[in-house]
Amino acid sequence: MAARFTINEVQVGDVTILRLGGRLELEEGDLVFRDYVNRLVGEGRLKILLDLKGVSRIDSAGIGMLVSKYLSTQKSGGNIKLLHLTRRSDHLMDITRLATVFEIFDDEADAVRSFAGTT
Amino acid sequence: MGAESTPSRAVLIVDDDRALRHALSALLTAAGHHIESVGDGPEALALLHNHPFDIVLLDIGLPSMSGLDVLARLSDLATPPRVIMMTADDTSESVLEAVRRQAYRYIHKPFPPNTIVDVVNEAIAPAAALSFEVVSARPEWLEFVAPCTIEMAERIHSFVMHLEAKLPEDIREALAQAFRELLMNAVEWGGKLDPTRKVRIACVRTKRMLLYRIADPGEGFDIDGLRHAAISNPEHDPIRHLVVREEKGLRPGGFGLAMTRSLVDELIYNEARNEVIFVKYLE
Repeated sequence: MAARFTINEVQVGDVTILRLGGRLELEEGDLVFRDYVNRLVGEGRLKILLDLKGVSRIDSAGIGMLVSKYLSTQKSGGNIKLLHLTRRSDHLMDITRLATVFEIFDDEADAVRSFAGTT
Repeated sequence: MGAESTPSRAVLIVDDDRALRHALSALLTAAGHHIESVGDGPEALALLHNHPFDIVLLDIGLPSMSGLDVLARLSDLATPPRVIMMTADDTSESVLEAVRRQAYRYIHKPFPPNTIVDVVNEAIAPAAALSFEVVSARPEWLEFVAPCTIEMAERIHSFVMHLEAKLPEDIREALAQAFRELLMNAVEWGGKLDPTRKVRIACVRTKRMLLYRIADPGEGFDIDGLRHAAISNPEHDPIRHLVVREEKGLRPGGFGLAMTRSLVDELIYNEARNEVIFVKYLE
């Protein structure tokens, strides 16, 4: 059994890094994640980097919530990017063709730098 | 998320590993539960006959009496506790016996420390009171009829995936993901998350393939009407269906069928599309 969903927040300049852990699934982490990102966007913290290294399981509801928050953050003038996909998450991004939607990074410094000059 | 808001319960730990008993006691006490612990089956049964416990964490490999034998005797109690089986033994016989005896969960040792707190907290939730019917518990044919709830789907998923523990990791992961997606579809869309409605689940194993069949109590769906699912998206726009979902007031998602189709070798719906079979070939 996989661990419960967790979020640890780190601020690097104006980029908010959310280190996600555990299960991002239907009625598990999906709503917690939604509310967390909504709060950040409400506070005007619009550069969000999601570190998925600790995510043990993700399902279609979790992926749907990632995309939904990506779209709503973009609508508010911000961006969500992904960091450290696990082999499993990477595979799911490929088969859902979401690798063509998100910017995905293996290196945290590169990911943080990529936000420079954006709103 | 966590123990702070969880009501305190009486938990009995039955394991012959003294260090593990101590560690689990400390974790669950810190989570606010009342803990007793014993090292063998007869001692556990004596205690259970004299004191009510909500949850029993039960090792299978006990010295004088197997945990599965203890589990079999717990149904005689006036108010049987919910039982979480703990073992390093993932043989299909052990898993199937735990299923037959309506164990709440079956968890593999070693496990991350917080896992046990999460499982205990799940087991004391009101939704955990629901039970499933075991139609067949043979290694080659496992079949359940279960209420349409997410919690029950999680339990069934957990049992079934323990049976597949010896498969290569990539096959096991693909099966786990596909099975979960289709089972959640069945209980959420077919069963409307109504515990009075039932989903029927069969898992058939042969030397060359694994076949899973899930029949939900819904009316099925029209594949041409699935504009809210990712399978309807054009090649160049993998998220167009999310706009449709938002218009319809549906939660974000809709990637389940697209994911499942890529994870298994065969995916076949019946005409009404309220029953689905998927197959993974092993050779």
